[in-house]
Amino acid sequence: MAIDPHIALEGRGISLGYVQEGRRKEILQDLDFQLFTGEFTCLLGPNGVGKSSLVKSILGELLPWKGNMLLQGKALRSLDIQERAKQVAVVLAQSAYPGTMTVGQLVALGRTPYLGWGGKLQEEDRKKVYQAMEDTRISHLQDERLSELSDGQRQKAMIARALAQDGSVIVLDEPTAYLDLVNRLEIMHLLREFTRTKRKAVLVVTHDLDIALETADRFWILNCGLPLLSGKPEDLVLSGQIQALFPSDRYRFNVARGRVEWSQVMPDYLIEGPAEKVYWVKKALVKAGITSLEQTLVITEPFGLRVGEESFPSVQAFLWNYFLNQK
Amino acid sequence: MRHRNSLFPIVGLSLGLSFLLNLCLGTVWIPPSEILAGVLQGTWEKASWEQIFVNYRLPKALVALLAGIGLSLSGLQMQTFFRNPLAGPYVLGVSAGAGLGVALLMLLGSAFGITMMGITSWATAGAGILGAMAVLAWVGVVAWRVKDSMTLLIVGLMFGSAVSAVIGILSYFSGAESLKLYTVWSMGSLGALNWAQVGLLSLLVFAGALPVFFSSKAYNALLLGEIYARSMGIRTQRMRWIMIGSTGILAGSITAFCGPIAFVGIAVPHVARMLWKSSDHRFLFPGSALLGALILLLCDGLSHLPFWSSALPINALTSLIGAPLVISMVLKKNFSKDF
Repeated sequence: MAIDPHIALEGRGISLGYVQEGRRKEILQDLDFQLFTGEFTCLLGPNGVGKSSLVKSILGELLPWKGNMLLQGKALRSLDIQERAKQVAVVLAQSAYPGTMTVGQLVALGRTPYLGWGGKLQEEDRKKVYQAMEDTRISHLQDERLSELSDGQRQKAMIARALAQDGSVIVLDEPTAYLDLVNRLEIMHLLREFTRTKRKAVLVVTHDLDIALETADRFWILNCGLPLLSGKPEDLVLSGQIQALFPSDRYRFNVARGRVEWSQVMPDYLIEGPAEKVYWVKKALVKAGITSLEQTLVITEPFGLRVGEESFPSVQAFLWNYFLNQK
Repeated sequence: MRHRNSLFPIVGLSLGLSFLLNLCLGTVWIPPSEILAGVLQGTWEKASWEQIFVNYRLPKALVALLAGIGLSLSGLQMQTFFRNPLAGPYVLGVSAGAGLGVALLMLLGSAFGITMMGITSWATAGAGILGAMAVLAWVGVVAWRVKDSMTLLIVGLMFGSAVSAVIGILSYFSGAESLKLYTVWSMGSLGALNWAQVGLLSLLVFAGALPVFFSSKAYNALLLGEIYARSMGIRTQRMRWIMIGSTGILAGSITAFCGPIAFVGIAVPHVARMLWKSSDHRFLFPGSALLGALILLLCDGLSHLPFWSSALPINALTSLIGAPLVISMVLKKNFSKDF
């Protein structure tokens, strides 16, 4: 629970969309939302529902047709681009980057709104740049060129740049879209960490439900034609509202396992053993298309399977034998 | 950091030396010591040397200096703004646009009975600048929508051929005299300017280059693309017009006065990036300006080596040197990444 949460960014009755070939195409209707300082918020929803449009409107790239966006109580519209830059920073999924630039230089770009036209860093700017690299744990990469980094490191550098911008709000549009699992986990935990320590309001658009469940303080769930659903992830899970993320009953959120599953009837196999192991063996049997077992399957310790007198070192071995006997 | 700053005196010194060398070279070799003596003490061994120096060599060297600075600065601005390593005044058809402006003035002018005497240096420069800006605005509309270098190149190339077709039609209907005037112009020459024109050109190059040196911060932010730049407080719309104005004035006026000069605009910024090992415009702008002047002075010197029977057209020489340079850079691994 965030201590003294107060609203960093607020949307009131936001409607927005695009004009395409003379026709107005409304994407989001009458949306209300509040982004709190010190809270790590994840925005989830199916593709094409308007998550990126919402992000664009927060960045001022897309003007809402109706409604008001308030940044710490002040209308976002009334802010000059430079003032807004001092408050709202952004990280996108993938960006063009100059390969010859070093991490240090990239992070220093975050100071842009504070510099004169020459772009010379003052002592204070330098401190903030070092601090941002420290906070994202990339100080050791300071002199590396961007072309020599991994995608994960580069994205961390982009996040450090957003931190160096020193605003109250950081918006990230699928920052982990092109990263591997470990990097996704690491970046989300990193974001969560400095949301607390730096007292930022952080909004992340993501499709990683598992990682979001683990890290987020708040979920925003956006669905076609429905109002924005906002709440603690745990509350949404317990109340079953999380199901709003899935378009049909084919997908079920498994509360026990904390993830979405292709819902299907699990046949009642006769399997003995610890529950968590039974689950995995069942899964393999379902995938193999086995609907029933004639004899009880026993999971032995150390791991192995036993049917009657026969023992198998692996599920693979058991299935092999099973299908051989079928023929 | 130290490496980057220490490069400036080295490049500056080479620039000074190549300027002096450029003054010495030509059908008549004037020894450097004589030039220094002539400039510092006002005494010349031969009166003809003074004539050559004051009326031909010095204005030509100054024009090479100005053109080198202007073309590389406009190339660097376009490469960063379009985020395209192959952008440049020549490739994107800006020079072709300037050529069209000049052709309209020279070839169509004669059709409407404006005599050759009526075409002043002001008019030529004006036509070149207008033509360049018109093309840049047009290419810009396309380029801001596509990130792909291929598309941009194709648009630039297509525009180039469209322009040459228009010029072809114009030449078909124009008189022999104005036709020759245009043909000579299109080969490029740094030495065709009198002192008044040199004065005008330096004024225009100064005016075109001025906004550049106040925009390092904005161009650095633009390296990440326009959305990031705006999110960091850069007014990209304003920068767009500054870029169009600056490159239009620079590439337009230089092309108008000297004819098209290929490859300086596209190649020099890359050489600067390689030498300074940086994408920071605080180094790249002055670095490209110095390098551009240095390279064009050397090219011009080469085209005036005493054993050529007469001077080679400068456009041919920069293309001969620039094309292999750009090809080798494009073939290099990670070319677009290192950009």
